[in-house]
Amino acid sequence: MEFAANITLFALLQQVLVGLSRTTILFIVASGLSLVLGVLRIPNIAHGSLYMIGAFLTYTIATLFGQSALGFWLALIVAPLCVAVISFLVERGLFCHLYEREHMMLLLFTFAFSLVFGDMVKLIWGSDYRSLTAPLFLQGSFSISGFPFPRYNLFLLIVGPLVAAGLWFLTNKTKIGKIARAAAVDREMVGAIGINVSWVFAAVFVIGCYLAGLGGALVAPTQNITQGMDHAIIIEAFLIVIIGGLGNIWGALLGALIFGLTDSIGILLLPQFAIVFPYMAVVTVLLFRPKGLLKSVW
Amino acid sequence: MFKALFSKKTTIVGIILLAALLLLPQFLPRFYIYLFAMIFAICLLATSLNMVLGFGGMYQFHHAVFYGFGAYAFALFVTKSGLPLWMGYVIAPFCAALLGLVLGLITVRLTQLYFGMLQISLGSLVWAITYRWYSFTGGDDGIHGIPIPDLIGSSTGAYYFNLIVTAACLLLMYMIVNSPFGRTFQGIRDNPERCEAVGVNVQRQKLVGLVIAAFFAGVAGTLFVTVEGSVFPDLMFWTLSLEILIMCLLGGWFIFMGPALGAIIIITLRTFVGIYTEYWTLILGIVLMLLIFFLPEGVLGLFLKKIVPAEKKEG
Amino acid sequence: MKKLSVFYISLSILIIACMFVIAPSSFAAKALKIGIVDCYSGPPAAYTNDVRDAFKLEAEKINAAGGILGRKIEVLTRDSKFKVDLGLSAAKELIYRENVDIMMGTINSALALAISDLCKKEKVPFFVTFAKSAKITGAKGHRYVFSITENTALVGKAAAAGLAKKPYQKYWIAGDDYEYGHAVADGVWNNLKKMKPDVELLGQSWWKVGEPDFTPYITAILSAKPDAVIVATGGRDCVPFLKAAKATGFNERVPFFMHTATELGTLKPLGLNAPENVIGTSNYFYYYPETSANKSFVKNFETAFNRKPAVGAVYGKLAAEFIFGAYKKAGKVDTEKFIDNVQGMWVNSPLGQVTMRAYDHQAMLPMFMGVTKKVAGYDFLIATDIVTIPGKDVMPSIAEIKKARKK
Repeated sequence: MEFAANITLFALLQQVLVGLSRTTILFIVASGLSLVLGVLRIPNIAHGSLYMIGAFLTYTIATLFGQSALGFWLALIVAPLCVAVISFLVERGLFCHLYEREHMMLLLFTFAFSLVFGDMVKLIWGSDYRSLTAPLFLQGSFSISGFPFPRYNLFLLIVGPLVAAGLWFLTNKTKIGKIARAAAVDREMVGAIGINVSWVFAAVFVIGCYLAGLGGALVAPTQNITQGMDHAIIIEAFLIVIIGGLGNIWGALLGALIFGLTDSIGILLLPQFAIVFPYMAVVTVLLFRPKGLLKSVW
Repeated sequence: MFKALFSKKTTIVGIILLAALLLLPQFLPRFYIYLFAMIFAICLLATSLNMVLGFGGMYQFHHAVFYGFGAYAFALFVTKSGLPLWMGYVIAPFCAALLGLVLGLITVRLTQLYFGMLQISLGSLVWAITYRWYSFTGGDDGIHGIPIPDLIGSSTGAYYFNLIVTAACLLLMYMIVNSPFGRTFQGIRDNPERCEAVGVNVQRQKLVGLVIAAFFAGVAGTLFVTVEGSVFPDLMFWTLSLEILIMCLLGGWFIFMGPALGAIIIITLRTFVGIYTEYWTLILGIVLMLLIFFLPEGVLGLFLKKIVPAEKKEG
Repeated sequence: MKKLSVFYISLSILIIACMFVIAPSSFAAKALKIGIVDCYSGPPAAYTNDVRDAFKLEAEKINAAGGILGRKIEVLTRDSKFKVDLGLSAAKELIYRENVDIMMGTINSALALAISDLCKKEKVPFFVTFAKSAKITGAKGHRYVFSITENTALVGKAAAAGLAKKPYQKYWIAGDDYEYGHAVADGVWNNLKKMKPDVELLGQSWWKVGEPDFTPYITAILSAKPDAVIVATGGRDCVPFLKAAKATGFNERVPFFMHTATELGTLKPLGLNAPENVIGTSNYFYYYPETSANKSFVKNFETAFNRKPAVGAVYGKLAAEFIFGAYKKAGKVDTEKFIDNVQGMWVNSPLGQVTMRAYDHQAMLPMFMGVTKKVAGYDFLIATDIVTIPGKDVMPSIAEIKKARKK
């Protein structure tokens, strides 16, 4: 391909940076899924729908304020919180009664939810394209040696590690995080020592869904906000969680890195195979490390 | 041998059902004949998945790839080779089985979610190849107008053809499930370590089960082409695999006819609710949620629970 | 346990079977039924809603005036959700159960081809809206299928005609990696090469449909330093690509062409943040030409639906004009007579006079090539420097169609 002749170090560097900013979104969404899967053992197919709802809410809130800078930041804070609230209601109202059920039934239930959420989004927002523009100072791009690097991507590059740090703090340094990790490994034991496992589960579920909403909010200015967003992200998120190790946040980060980077570098080298990169990555990882790259919680 | 498989009651009911289905086209309007023919094919597909899902306990997340592969193999055979049609019906399922073998060899060493995810990835690779290989497979346009002779291609013809093939395959699968192999297979689902300890080659059994399931999925693929006369990459996409999985779970996955019932419910719902509203997925989602809440073992599980005590009384 | 389940299965099956027979087909047996199968979920719906709405508007007008040939028009729509198997099933339901007289649809080319084949078998006229595969009226054309939308062959000729006049020599081709993308790119490039033999192709980039981040591709293209780029994106990726172009300043560094870049459906969602100076071809603008036909069409549509019509609305209007006009001419509801009358027929439309070419059943639509610009008075970009390419100049020759169909 004519491509290969044009690779310079800067081009490669730029591709890596872009890949990393994509990693941010993938990591945030996948870590939420991983948390829920690891601690609650729920393969939450509706996770993608929550991501989509986060994006739509961000659009609505930001547009309420005329798509200004204030509107955007407000949306970034409020939208994921709304998603968290929705997930809380769903969990307390419905999910918590089903924890004793079979794995597969939970999968079926979350699938039913993704159907309901999908149509509700269509009912509420209609089927039109939505496009959100980032606030002015995040628009446009820097020029790195003649290559455009969108400012918003840089913003994502900063947000990513922040969220990762926040999650690490939450799971390792806070009480709830430690309890959650214990509950993931042995929920009966945690219940036996007097902790209300049910509320732990609720907390973890809400945090996981908050992350989905946050991912959706962050991605909103860069993509079309439409139905179908949920399907696209959910398969990638599940694949990342699998290769990273179930319930392992760092695994999610590693998996997201692999995805983001193989995509952006692969595009440079072998663009005609771009469609299969994520799958190839998964196949390769699982062939050598059948249980995922990092330790999984179960 | 049949005596051992079915009780007298079941055999009679089965025959009555079959007779009813054979006579139905005389009374049904054309659309319903077509719909039934489609339902037969999907029932076969769902049951084939359940071979490994319900009876084998394997997380088969991308079963549709074998279905689509069988459909494409058949379509390509009919449109590109000059050979007689009936050969296509034999070759295509074997192609699907071959794909099952190849994918299986790579994936059976993994378990549960990992097995499922690796299968999705590999299956998606197959999908991607089909999607892009425009010159051979028609790419995302698909292949249409596949010439099926009227005897089996017309609405009524497809109905009878699909009915007979589906009934035969279901019988075969039932026999396999109740054979020594089938029992070992279920044993693996319940307690793989014990089976391993007793000397069963768990991985080999799983592989054989997968190949069998893929074979019947391939047959279902040929039945699809018989009814619709078209193939397209959607048939191999992971969303279809998820739908088939849902059918199995909905109907009851540890009962033989459960998936078939699930298939019937979902197809009926989406066809008829779709006539009245474009939000039929919402209705489907709500129905599913209600069913899960109140019927933990699927629709059929409910019936069985009610019947088993009664049976004990009778016995 | 398993044995008894068979009993209950059969019971449930019989019960469900009864359900089927009960579900009523739509009433009004003496209606003229038009069935539309299209994707009304997700991104394509933004386009397809217009077709359905404009068509229904026309149908209602006729019904209010007493119907057509003594019958009321009934429009039945089904959502394919962009899935071919669902769409095909819905089409069969419309034809077998509802006994529609005419079929219309769809934005998905694979589904359009499948329905076209079905309609050929069932002898039901099928009007294709939006699906742009040239195969529909080309290689796979037949007596019962009509297209009232442009296809990749028409786009190719129109775009090439426009690009050949520009001074660009070195080109790069990029687009969605699926059949439509490649077909459009091939169409444009092959025609361009014929009109301007000294153009040079430096390379190609193809991304997956629904690609979330175009930046890596844009960078790669920029580093190749072409004079211009041909961007072959499908409906779903047009808006995101333009967004990425604006964010990276792509449109300011190198001129690029994209089919539908100048269309309302593409530019409206981006508001004032769309990139300028993008070359685009389109079938329709509500603001040009300012003929009375166009103006009244826009006014009626806007009054009814509270939004400006995009190109889909014109497809809907054309369909209505052809279908109802042909029935009137035929004098009775007879399929073969209907087809005989549609062939070669011309209708008045917001685009002026449009003819349905008799040989291949392709509507001879004019194409407009323009450049995106911010203009006062609009809160989204519009097309300027509009050049009209008449329908007859963009159609593939009948010889080409013959050749394609022979294969």
